[in-house]
Amino acid sequence: MASLSTFSNFLTFLFPPKSQPPPPPPPLPPLPPPPNLTIRKPLHHVTPLDHFDQDPPYSCSSSPSSLSSVVCPSLAQTNTMWFKSTYNVEVAVEENEPEERLLNRFRREVMKAGVIQECRRRRYHEDTQEKRKRKSREAAKRNRRRRPQSKSLAENKQAIKETKKKDDDDDDNWDLPEDNAYIDHF
Amino acid sequence: MAKPIPKIGSRKNGRIGSRKHARKIPKGVIHVQASFNNTIVTVTDVRGRVISWSSAGTCGFKGTRRGTPFAAQTAAGNVIRTVANQGMQRAEVMIKGPGLGRDAVLRAIRRSGILLNFIRDVTPMPHNGCRSPKKRRV
Repeated sequence: MASLSTFSNFLTFLFPPKSQPPPPPPPLPPLPPPPNLTIRKPLHHVTPLDHFDQDPPYSCSSSPSSLSSVVCPSLAQTNTMWFKSTYNVEVAVEENEPEERLLNRFRREVMKAGVIQECRRRRYHEDTQEKRKRKSREAAKRNRRRRPQSKSLAENKQAIKETKKKDDDDDDNWDLPEDNAYIDHF
Repeated sequence: MAKPIPKIGSRKNGRIGSRKHARKIPKGVIHVQASFNNTIVTVTDVRGRVISWSSAGTCGFKGTRRGTPFAAQTAAGNVIRTVANQGMQRAEVMIKGPGLGRDAVLRAIRRSGILLNFIRDVTPMPHNGCRSPKKRRV
């Protein structure tokens, strides 16, 4: 799903708006719809809203959110910048969300996307040996989580260990020394 | 850019003074570059034109202390103070890079009272591109 979103972002990047007009006059004349209209269909409905913000009609803003949600519900939450819209993780902030919860949500999303792991891996070049080791470690981790067989294997190992221990205990001589030896000391 | 950006080194605290007086921008984007050794916080408008920036280094920290989360927090606080005077209410956060500054800056922004729309992670990921530098043998 992350790849899909990046793909759609890539598409919008591929069809940039044709020409940037110099600072547009405040009462916006009906501009010709940009060529990426095929992707974001009801965008030309949004242009009359744009003169509320002072942005050119390239960023669909969510501040007149009630109106835009009526116009096109799917665009209500979007705030895409046409120039750069590729990202790894996006978290939409709700109203009055407690700080810790927001942070945790963000951190969880980032961990799911594996951003920091990737960064650390790409920091220095890894040779083929390192790569193989890392891949086998990752595979082991993945398989360990999925295969319940490995759990029973571990149980068997534990059982074997316990029996071994019992054998040792049985070999010891637990009898008390005889009374004769005891009395002699006193 | 229409005009050249003046050199940073001559100014205190990394404030770029703009020639025409501060435009009122209710909405902006906060870019955070959190590397292992430093954190740079830049505030731009929605189109990407920089309004002001600050970093752990410009806040007076030096060396290894720049990479700490506290330094990131002070850098963020610095920027937000500047920008709140210009009347920014809503913001988006774009976080780039691994580093301890990621969470700290988020916390500072949250506490400052600026409303957030989105938090995005825009760490650049090569699709197996250039060869990274060699391993360190420390």
